[in-house]
Amino acid sequence: MTKTSRRAAAAAASAAAVLAFTAACSSSSSTTPAAPAATGSATGTITWFANQFGPTTTDVRKTLIAAFEKAYPGITVKLEQAPSDTDTYRSTLVTQISGGSSSFDVYNGDVTWPAQFAKASLALPLNSYFDQSYWNTFSNGLVSSLSYKGQTYAVPLFTDNAFLFYRKDLLAKAHLPVPTTWEQLQSEAETLQKDNLVKYGFAAQFDSYEGLTCDWTEFAADAGATSVNSDGTSSSIDTAAAQKALTFMRGLITSGVTPSAATTFQEQQSESLFTSGQVAFLRNWTYAYADSNTQGTSKVAGDVGVTNLPTFAGQTGPGYSVTGGWNLYVNPHSKNLAADVDFLKWMTGTQAQTIMAEQGGEIPTVASVLADPQVQASNPAYPVAAKNKLNARPSYVAQYSQVSQAIYTNINAALSGSVSPSAALSSANSQINSALSNSGL
Amino acid sequence: MSSTVLPPRRRSGMRRRSARLGWAFASPALLVVAAVMIFPIVFSVIMSANHVQVSGNGFQLSGFTGSNYSILLHAPRFWHDLEFTVLYTVFTVAVEMVLGTLIALVLERLTTGRGWMMALLLMPWALITVVSAELWAYVYNGVYGVLDAFLGDFGVHDLNVLGTPMQASIAMAVADVWKTTPFVAIMVLAGLVMLPSEVVEAARVDGANGWTVFWRIRLPLLRPALAVAVLFRILQAFGLFDLPYVLTNGGPGTSTESLAVLGYKVLFNDLEFGPGAAIAATTALIVLVFCLLFLKVFRTQVGEQED
Repeated sequence: MTKTSRRAAAAAASAAAVLAFTAACSSSSSTTPAAPAATGSATGTITWFANQFGPTTTDVRKTLIAAFEKAYPGITVKLEQAPSDTDTYRSTLVTQISGGSSSFDVYNGDVTWPAQFAKASLALPLNSYFDQSYWNTFSNGLVSSLSYKGQTYAVPLFTDNAFLFYRKDLLAKAHLPVPTTWEQLQSEAETLQKDNLVKYGFAAQFDSYEGLTCDWTEFAADAGATSVNSDGTSSSIDTAAAQKALTFMRGLITSGVTPSAATTFQEQQSESLFTSGQVAFLRNWTYAYADSNTQGTSKVAGDVGVTNLPTFAGQTGPGYSVTGGWNLYVNPHSKNLAADVDFLKWMTGTQAQTIMAEQGGEIPTVASVLADPQVQASNPAYPVAAKNKLNARPSYVAQYSQVSQAIYTNINAALSGSVSPSAALSSANSQINSALSNSGL
Repeated sequence: MSSTVLPPRRRSGMRRRSARLGWAFASPALLVVAAVMIFPIVFSVIMSANHVQVSGNGFQLSGFTGSNYSILLHAPRFWHDLEFTVLYTVFTVAVEMVLGTLIALVLERLTTGRGWMMALLLMPWALITVVSAELWAYVYNGVYGVLDAFLGDFGVHDLNVLGTPMQASIAMAVADVWKTTPFVAIMVLAGLVMLPSEVVEAARVDGANGWTVFWRIRLPLLRPALAVAVLFRILQAFGLFDLPYVLTNGGPGTSTESLAVLGYKVLFNDLEFGPGAAIAATTALIVLVFCLLFLKVFRTQVGEQED
């Protein structure tokens, strides 16, 4: 064997190692544990696989567990820290559950996962464990987002809404009202910029990622457009209404109201632009209210107002907010289903949801808790949230991940100016269609 | 090659025996390699040619199909990502080879402080790519980025480095070159140090100037070292993942999406394991062919040299 051919063999081996990354997840077990019945008084230990949510100072997950264990002395809950990045977390879950792991019983999961996880049987269907009156306790529209083909695969742990955050001081200085339409927001922003009161007018999340699908869904809904038809069979994104929404979004950038760098902004970058006092209006989630009003880390603390997102002129306001937030799912391999169900019920009950709202800073999913005046008084965003018009991303299709990529990559390309809005929409249209027919990447 | 004292037959018998002994000793290690490398590779190739359904009970492979590959071949996104990955690999590896060789030539001349220089140079290489990508993300940030502030002093405002496909690709290539040029430099330096000094001296005696010595003597002799460096770099650059994942997420649009990022999204976001495995297999095959072709070209050139 010559030196060179031996090196060729080494090269071949290393090249093949590239392949090995696929196989990291190639665990296969074929044993199906018999579904344990959820009867009798539950006891034992269950593990809750959950990522951090709520404030960083106190871990609200531990507060919740302590209160639960007090209510159910027979059950002990062990908390297992999950990855904070949503996509990393999903790969962890897929690897573990498809590998047959029962190392956790209940897990937190994103609101967009039910259909995908249902199709891949990574979550236990829950209908037989809860009666109809239980599902009626939640805010409108939440339960349908948990279902796939008539079965419900999760319970809603907390929800999140989008808001418009604005600088009260700047609007007062320029004698401008809080905008209720996007057009008004743009012209007010231009006024503020012209008067040298602020550098930029409006910031949002226009990077090529899931957050842009959220922002897009809102703008599109305000213009009367959807991305997927209601039965999830084909794309509906290439319409005049969608064109209007996208052209307006691109116009925010070309007019200088939104910095061109917004096409690389996720939540954190847009928020830091706002808290450093460089932008007048911000579209962001609930936590941005507390963040931007924190003395020391925010230069605009005390000057921040919160309201519903605007809509387009001629539409009845307020504008749409997408629903974000997290659900609780049950691992199909869980050995203690009775305890899991008790835990799920309690976590979506009045006591837990009140803790979630008052100490966790997260919008409760139970309608009566959100309507409670005492809860509403704990965070100025909650009364606004109660008035929000909600719209779900098209996550009722199992191929939502591909659909969302088709949306955010094309919208991002149009916002950065590399393609025209109409070209972006027609490309998104064909990609969504091929995703829905399982014939594309 | 080895001893010439023994008669031919006896030697071959001993060689065979010692070869058998060698295999015996190596077999435990080979078994481990088979378990952790060959099995996963074979399994993912099998997956790429099957309908794969992920489920709570592992993967269900339900029948042979070519559809995973046909999906790839008909997806404009795959072709775009392939084109981007190849162009990116060719461009960054070429730049890194030139810069790395130049740095190695300088380092070889350094008599004092070479150790310190090498330590300094190796710092970018020693950084985990995700970490260095985060550093560059800070440099390129469109609002509070260092580069923006720097260009602002020259009257260039709101460049938004990562905002257009061309700029984002170049920015990413710069980050890559910054990180991996030192690796090339070290590989080439090792080759330079090993060069027989007599040949260079002889050339000088014959009246060759520095330029001629470099192009006609040292560079040809450096070929093995260069080849190894290029191979390593192609293999790594083709698997480009961390930089786009951190810096651009593949954006704007999908313009800076590499094959590895596409594979990741298809496998772990979309949970489409069949097409995902097909992407991985295709990528591995392409890079393998790439490397074999390179070695082939390299070998013919060496052959010409020896004639």
